Amino acid sequence: MEGLEQFIRFTGFANITIEHCIMMVIALIFIYLAIVKEYEPLLLIPIGFGILIGNIPFLENVGMQIGIYEEGSVLNYLYYGVVKGIYPPLIFLGIGAMTDFSALLSNPRLMLLGAAAQVGIFITFMAAMALGFSQEQAAAIGIIGGADGPTAIFLSSKLAPELIGAIAIAAYSYMALVPVIQPPIIKLLTTKEERVIRMKPPRAVSKLEKIIFPIVGLLLTTFISPGALPLLGMLFFGNLLKESGVTRRLADTASKSLIDIVTILLGLTVGASTQATTFLTPQSILIFFLGAVSFMIATAGGVIFAKVMNLFLKGDNKLNPMIGAAGVSAVPDSARVVQHLGVQEDSTNYLLMHAMAPNVSGVIGSAVAAGILMGFLLNVF
Amino acid sequence: MINDIQIQDTLQTVQDTIKSAAQEDVFNKITFDLTKVVEGNGLLITVVGYVVVFAALLMLFVIISNMKNFLTFKQRKKLRAEGNIAADEKDLSISGDINAAIAMSLHLHFAELHDIESTTLTIKKVQRTYSPWSSKLYGLRQIPLKK
Repeated sequence: MEGLEQFIRFTGFANITIEHCIMMVIALIFIYLAIVKEYEPLLLIPIGFGILIGNIPFLENVGMQIGIYEEGSVLNYLYYGVVKGIYPPLIFLGIGAMTDFSALLSNPRLMLLGAAAQVGIFITFMAAMALGFSQEQAAAIGIIGGADGPTAIFLSSKLAPELIGAIAIAAYSYMALVPVIQPPIIKLLTTKEERVIRMKPPRAVSKLEKIIFPIVGLLLTTFISPGALPLLGMLFFGNLLKESGVTRRLADTASKSLIDIVTILLGLTVGASTQATTFLTPQSILIFFLGAVSFMIATAGGVIFAKVMNLFLKGDNKLNPMIGAAGVSAVPDSARVVQHLGVQEDSTNYLLMHAMAPNVSGVIGSAVAAGILMGFLLNVF
Repeated sequence: MINDIQIQDTLQTVQDTIKSAAQEDVFNKITFDLTKVVEGNGLLITVVGYVVVFAALLMLFVIISNMKNFLTFKQRKKLRAEGNIAADEKDLSISGDINAAIAMSLHLHFAELHDIESTTLTIKKVQRTYSPWSSKLYGLRQIPLKK
């Protein structure tokens, strides 16, 4: 009889709370958005299902080694890659091996849009501090505005590991919601005339330029911001594998199998880390709110800076200010949003390649920003 | 009766305590205090951080912008030595349109591959003398019926 009683105490029904139910509903919403709306399914399916896994109620801390926060559990081992910042550089390796920097190399001035959009990170950093978060926590929250999941996880693993679940979920949620968040801001800040601006087609970029870029890019950015070395080192390494043309097998592995494996592990464990008992707090809700603000400011920053640049540019050098929104580093979602809006305004105006330039520059910019914040705030002495 | 009132009072006190604690907790976190930013060097980190991000990407922009000129220096020198006026053109690279045209023509060329065959197009008159071995009539399995 005691055994039966113990068994009943172990079941999910005996341990379920309202918080578990809320998290399960959120998981189902994520899965719905991924399958029906096709919003970032590669991220939202693993995260959504991870949330379900992480919120199956059970009797915690009785030595069953089930939960993600219980030492020795399988999920805990997999989560180690998140907590120690192992997965983000591997994701960056894959991104580097997939990314074609030609658009950026053919029109390097678009790189400044990627820098401008990082304003979201720093304004949110200050807002989070004003709301009572510590410097380190505020920096980790601010980086959500970079719209770069791996960078957000990497920085929070170093500066505020206690917030990693909330920050990762917020970052990936907003990345998935790029098609919902960005268009109203872009439309609000641009006129019809600006949205139909046609940009000069990008020039052809030589192979030599493509090979030199990752080397020069690595040296320059990591000398300025060594904290970003794990991210930028892997990003540029992956890109050199691709562009060198002699390591096709390695580039293929990095851009396909490896990144897929790491995405599965990252998404699932980040999702599972939202265990209701530790995740659902007013602090997490505040982080979600700040993340949204950060993302909106970043989008607006890029668009406004593109408009400012247009004041100094003439003729066919003028920019379509919508591409400024792609300065957030949600690759390639933001660029896709810009392309979609461009085609809506003028069915023959293709902005995708132009928007890819600030988009990849945003990846570099947010990683540099993360490195700078680490340089300021990491307690090493 | 007195017990009931006491219990109700106690419950009320507990509820009030929980409510005020919860409110205090939430409001403490939501207080927006800009002095914390100044005291925590938030403004300094923001200004320096943003300027450094901008400077890093600006330097990369300057280098990439000039990389093309640096790489085409030798090519220009060679063109000048040959007396080619293209040496003074601002952009030596082939435009996207020309690249697309070349790619398309190469594609069409390679997509049209055949075995080796004569390219001479003529109509030759062929005369064949009758032979029962090549007669169509004998080749038919059924002789057509005239109706």
